[in-house]
Amino acid sequence: MTIVREFTKGFWRENPIFRLVLGICPTLAVTTAAINGIAMGLATTFVLVCSNVVISLLRNFIPSRVRIPSFIVVIASFVTIVDLVMAGFFFQLHKTLGLFIPLIVVNCIILGRAEAFASKNPLMDSLADGFGMGLGFTLSLLVLGSIREVLGNGTLFNVPVFGPGYFPFLVMVLPPGAFITLGFLLALMNRLAAQRPS
Amino acid sequence: MKDILRLIVVLTSLCIVSAIALAKIYDLTKGPIAHQKRLEVLRAIKTVLPPYDNEPDRDMVTLPIGKDKRGEEVQGVFYRGRKSDRLIGLAFKVTSPEGYGGDIEVMVGVLPNGTVYGVEVLSHLETPGLGAKIREAKFKDRFKNRNLYNTKWAVKKDAGDIDGITGATISSRAVTKAIKEGLGFYRDHKARIVGSGQ
Amino acid sequence: MDDRQFILSSSPHIHSGESTPRIMYSVGVALVPAMFMGVYLFGFRAPWVMLLSVVAGMATEAGAQRMMGRKVTVSDGSAMVTGILLALNLPPTVPWWLVVVGSAIAIVIGKQIYGGLGYNPFNPALVARVILLISFPVQMTTWAKPIAALSRTVDVVTTATPLGAMKTHLLVKGTLEGFTMGELWNPFIGNIGGCIGETSVIALLIGAGFLLYRGYISWHIPITFIGTVFILSGIFWLINPNQHMNPVFHMLTGGLMLGAFYMATDMVTSPVTYRGMMVFGAGCGAITVIIRLFGGYPEGVSYSILLMNAATPLIDRYMRPKTFGWRAVSPR
Repeated sequence: MTIVREFTKGFWRENPIFRLVLGICPTLAVTTAAINGIAMGLATTFVLVCSNVVISLLRNFIPSRVRIPSFIVVIASFVTIVDLVMAGFFFQLHKTLGLFIPLIVVNCIILGRAEAFASKNPLMDSLADGFGMGLGFTLSLLVLGSIREVLGNGTLFNVPVFGPGYFPFLVMVLPPGAFITLGFLLALMNRLAAQRPS
Repeated sequence: MKDILRLIVVLTSLCIVSAIALAKIYDLTKGPIAHQKRLEVLRAIKTVLPPYDNEPDRDMVTLPIGKDKRGEEVQGVFYRGRKSDRLIGLAFKVTSPEGYGGDIEVMVGVLPNGTVYGVEVLSHLETPGLGAKIREAKFKDRFKNRNLYNTKWAVKKDAGDIDGITGATISSRAVTKAIKEGLGFYRDHKARIVGSGQ
Repeated sequence: MDDRQFILSSSPHIHSGESTPRIMYSVGVALVPAMFMGVYLFGFRAPWVMLLSVVAGMATEAGAQRMMGRKVTVSDGSAMVTGILLALNLPPTVPWWLVVVGSAIAIVIGKQIYGGLGYNPFNPALVARVILLISFPVQMTTWAKPIAALSRTVDVVTTATPLGAMKTHLLVKGTLEGFTMGELWNPFIGNIGGCIGETSVIALLIGAGFLLYRGYISWHIPITFIGTVFILSGIFWLINPNQHMNPVFHMLTGGLMLGAFYMATDMVTSPVTYRGMMVFGAGCGAITVIIRLFGGYPEGVSYSILLMNAATPLIDRYMRPKTFGWRAVSPR
């Protein structure tokens, strides 16, 4: 039962973007299109799940005084793996996201989950936590990316959604659009959360 | 003392394991990455040259084409496309430092007589929805069948023959100028580009 | 610098009669000459753009305030002034949807998300103008030839703004040789390409005189703003007249007059002390000149005001007047 709870909390209750507001740098930078959001989200999910599993397994061996460097070594290794595998097999995607993949290392969510959860909880719980948080993150990036792509480029997953008379609202795919969209979504989420009896 | 030893041992072994894993992954992905990079170059060459049956990236000549901002020599690579051993076109990369957002890299394909067969934008940092339209076929096709003799190489706004993109004169101008300079270099060094390495 | 006497007396105090609506409607009145000239110069499109902008702005304000459960204050005139200022900052050729989008942005992103009038750090009309400019660069930089728009031809004759023409000339020829600003009279009455309300210097000055007379704006920001533009562009002009236009050209063209008198002086987003206002004005002027002479855009008034809006809290902090009876404590 707790495993289900650990899995689902990432989607709403402790959603990394909209509730914890963690990992905002990649969130703002890559969400210019829906597909970028998904790709970045899944890459992060992979790293998050792997590092959660390894750190959970090693939690009794790693002395607390060197835990942060140890976590970073584990996380950086998985990020490098993602980087290489993507370059080898998903070249076009890697070209778009290339700059941001190495930045997953410093994504607060990953170190945050390692420190706050995986290093204190058993394997299965950490696995569920990693998957839930990762998919919650992916979902948030997808929402942001979709809104920005539709308004700022007139397309969704590169498919035009408006007629030819639509003038794209360019600012949405530029950096200010990321902040504006995230701000409005946060406001919406807070409003929904406030209405919901907890 | 024992405590410190433990820290060292744990962190060191973690790093060793990580290094071994990464070395393995690097080995596994080295081939695919190199392959993808080659495909990328070939894909660009293919769109700017008439149909060929050789391997242009194995039949190329490298020449110094000028100096960059720091005064270091820049090498230009000229790919030769052949059909039944007859030279039918050359592809080369030109870079414009005058883009609105940064360098614009363009692959230019010319027939041996110096007429443009096709152009392809390899990379750019122009504004999405505006300068980024240099990627669209509508713009790239405007250079087809043009050479140094039948065309005034400037955008219409500067009293030339090339239709610029509305609202993105700087990007259009940068691409036009870069192609023009590439054609000039080809004209001046034609013998070395076409002739050697037979 | 500030030789006004500060008279302090104990209660009872008399209310001066000032209120937000009264100030706002006065600003509206001050803008009438500029609106009139906009209509005269650019023809039948101008009044529609203004009307649409004001109506859309007021409707958005009412809608946003209702949605957030705040008191609806559309009648205080601030949404109206924002709407007018935005319209005056748009080219006369803009499509109708762009006006509506811009007006809604001004109210929602420029003002209401910060908590409404008085809490917004940036000038709402300028926020909208800049967002529109980077989102729809083609529509936002298609200028109509003034007066010609009055003739009965259906097609608008497009032209360039003097600043835009200067930048293009410089880019193409590499020098300003052969570029003239024409008769001084033209920018003075507004017979040049530009936004609906920015071209007529005389109309803007008449309205500004009214606001100065009524005391709703002080001279500090406009004079330091325009003065800095004049002096800085003058220095560059003296150094190299082949690369830089003369200071009179820079003073009379673009959005400088509109920006300096009506946008930079916005009470909410500019410093409160006179010394602070002068720093603010000088900063606006310097940024404007830097953008006009060395930037990618031909005009920089909007950006300079927004950037200095961001610096306003800092200016206020450092320009805090000494409290009477206290010695300044040297910061350590």
